[in-house]
Amino acid sequence: MAESWLKTFNLCRYYRRGPTEVKAVDNVDITLEKGECLGLVGSSGSGKSTLLNLMAGLDTPTSGHIEIEGHSLATLSRRELAAYRAYRVGMVFQSFNLIPHYTALGNVEMALFFNKTPRPVRRRLAIEIMEKLSLADRLDHRPADLSGGEQQRVALARALVKKPEILFADEPTGNLDQDNSRHIASLLKRLNLQGLTIILVTHDLELARSTTGRIIKMHYGQIIETSTSPSKRNDHHDLA
Amino acid sequence: MTWHDLLAISTGNLWRMKLRSFLTISGVIIAIAAFVAMLSFGAGNQKLVREQYEQLGLFNTMQVYPPRKSNDDDTARTVTLNDATVAELAEIPGVNLAYPYSKFKVSATIKDTSFSVNAQALPAAVFATKLYSQLLAGTFYDRDSARQAVVTRELTDSLHLTPDSIIGQQLIISIKSASIDSGLAYILQNAREHMRVRLKELRFDSLLNDDYRKRIFYGEMNSAFNLFLEGYMNHRSLISDTLTICGVLDKINGHRLRIEPIIIPAASARRFSVSGFGDDPADLFKALQEGSFFVPTGDSIEQNYSEITLNLDPLYSTEKVIDSVEALGFRTFSFARQFKEISRFFFYFDLFLGIIGLIALITASLGIVNTMVMSIIERKREIGLMKSLGADEPDIRLLFLFESAMIGTFGATIGIIFGWLITRLASFIARIIMTKQGFDEIELFALPGWLILIAFLFGLLVSLVAGFYPASRAARVDPVEALRNE
Ligand SMILES: Nc1ncnc2c1ncn2[C@@H]1O[C@H](COP(=O)(O)OP(=O)(O)OP(=O)(O)O)[C@@H](O)[C@H]1O
Ligand SMILES: [Mg+2]
Repeated sequence: MAESWLKTFNLCRYYRRGPTEVKAVDNVDITLEKGECLGLVGSSGSGKSTLLNLMAGLDTPTSGHIEIEGHSLATLSRRELAAYRAYRVGMVFQSFNLIPHYTALGNVEMALFFNKTPRPVRRRLAIEIMEKLSLADRLDHRPADLSGGEQQRVALARALVKKPEILFADEPTGNLDQDNSRHIASLLKRLNLQGLTIILVTHDLELARSTTGRIIKMHYGQIIETSTSPSKRNDHHDLA
Repeated sequence: MTWHDLLAISTGNLWRMKLRSFLTISGVIIAIAAFVAMLSFGAGNQKLVREQYEQLGLFNTMQVYPPRKSNDDDTARTVTLNDATVAELAEIPGVNLAYPYSKFKVSATIKDTSFSVNAQALPAAVFATKLYSQLLAGTFYDRDSARQAVVTRELTDSLHLTPDSIIGQQLIISIKSASIDSGLAYILQNAREHMRVRLKELRFDSLLNDDYRKRIFYGEMNSAFNLFLEGYMNHRSLISDTLTICGVLDKINGHRLRIEPIIIPAASARRFSVSGFGDDPADLFKALQEGSFFVPTGDSIEQNYSEITLNLDPLYSTEKVIDSVEALGFRTFSFARQFKEISRFFFYFDLFLGIIGLIALITASLGIVNTMVMSIIERKREIGLMKSLGADEPDIRLLFLFESAMIGTFGATIGIIFGWLITRLASFIARIIMTKQGFDEIELFALPGWLILIAFLFGLLVSLVAGFYPASRAARVDPVEALRNE
């Protein structure tokens, strides 16, 4: 059995807007195994993105805490938290969040700005990952000149270029047609097989079922259902 | 993030927002240019004064004056400046040379042109000092007994002669001088005729009578004195000397220094300076009153000088020499001290100009703040993204501080160049005006290294200060909020 990589304990994130309190994440306990591919589904506003931000150390929980390999994120200093994001976490945002005035290559390279990767290495790694994602002839394009699928792949390349331990993918297929979606899905599957731990947020249950091993369904900030998908994940750790 | 990244990101951003960057940097350029141009004026003037002082060796020159006459303090010994004083002052440690200022009016003739002019006696030794080093042509005389003279440009200019053409010319200087000798000579000359007449009239038998004798005696004395005065005033002898002009000295402007148009060796000058009084009858009566009239001519005559100039050893403390001289009861004037005062003035002058420049710079810095805040609002998403990619607050702060420092650096660099161009233009115009007005051309501006450095550091500092608030604001951007989809 693989050791748990990420564990949340009574994780809550509330937003106070005047008299009303929005419980974006409410008492969530999740255990994520190393090398697992977890699907996170739920209707809009159920708190999926908020949960990802908490786990990525971008947001601070109102209560409860998160442990990464047994170390609580709450005990980390701001600098250590930044380092956690810089070295270990890859994120794909719901809206691609590409910087419009940088080239595709520049956007990907940027992920290596903050983890002390030397400049020449940065460029080489960025080109490498972009080639893998069939973006080799789009290196110098601005995001505005790229198609939605290409933009999504650039965003994915940016998340993967640093070779993270975990990938938080928030609706990576959200704006894509079926072909593109399938392409991304198979890519994620392949990465997972190579040992990458993934949390995939999607409202496409079909996609979740075909890609992930376990699916958690959220509703109003709470986990209402956990299911193991039919396409049982291929546990390479056990094989090894 | 390396310096290279910072540079690339910052220049990229400034380049992307060309107009805005241009306007913001222009503000800094104008402020720095004004700052540089104004302080350059201060520095230029200061340099001008310093150069003049150095050129003339004024830092090693001081003047000694007799004490002020005080009415209530008559117990104090009357200290005058005379040859003994000169010798006494020369003995003070640190004094290289002491020489008096002694001026007299002469009639001079050069190339058949006669004119009345002031002359001054100076020992040959003064030409070793910087004060008299501004030789335009020829050489200085090297002995006090030399039968040579040095003239100044003031003289050549007034004669419309070039300095070179006057070298080797004969200079005839003369003083129409009344002396006791000339008075006596007149008595003797006239007395022969006079006496014969008198003797004929004289009643020898009556000489036994006291009254008669007295009357005769007074009468004779009276007529003799009348004769003497007549001879003194109307038959003054002409003392003249022919010297060869050996050098032309540049004129020295201002600085409490008086250099007369004709400078003659001290020994030659003695003949003129001791032999009497000028054309002014008042001098005569003054001398009569003081009893100095009948003092015999010659070296023993006591001359009082109005000032003595000291040339100081640069290795000695000027202040110590001043103290020693003042301890003797004299008044002093030190150029080194004067320069300190001038420097203090320039300090406040520069400070004033600097503050004006600084105000312009502060105004420009508001432009920087505005630009940076705008930039941060626009780039909120980028900041959030960088944070999500592992940028820590100091990284973001550094990035924006760097950008605002770039504005400062560009602005300061171009501003310094602009400021310099302004001074060149102003200097050019000033030269035209100076030439038109017949002044010597002088450089009014200077751009010393320290000014460039200060201007640059000011530009950088102000831009950093201006960038500080926007940068910390950027560092505090909440990534979750920044990255949330619209
Ligand atoms: N800054 C905020 N202030 C107030 N409420 C917020 C804030 N951020 C999120 N929320 C609320 O928290 C809830 C969860 O939002 P979240 O973005 O996590 O949902 P989601 O599951 O990702 O939805 P979607 O599928 O549409 O992306 C929503 O109701 C949202 O309105
Ligand atoms: Mg979401």
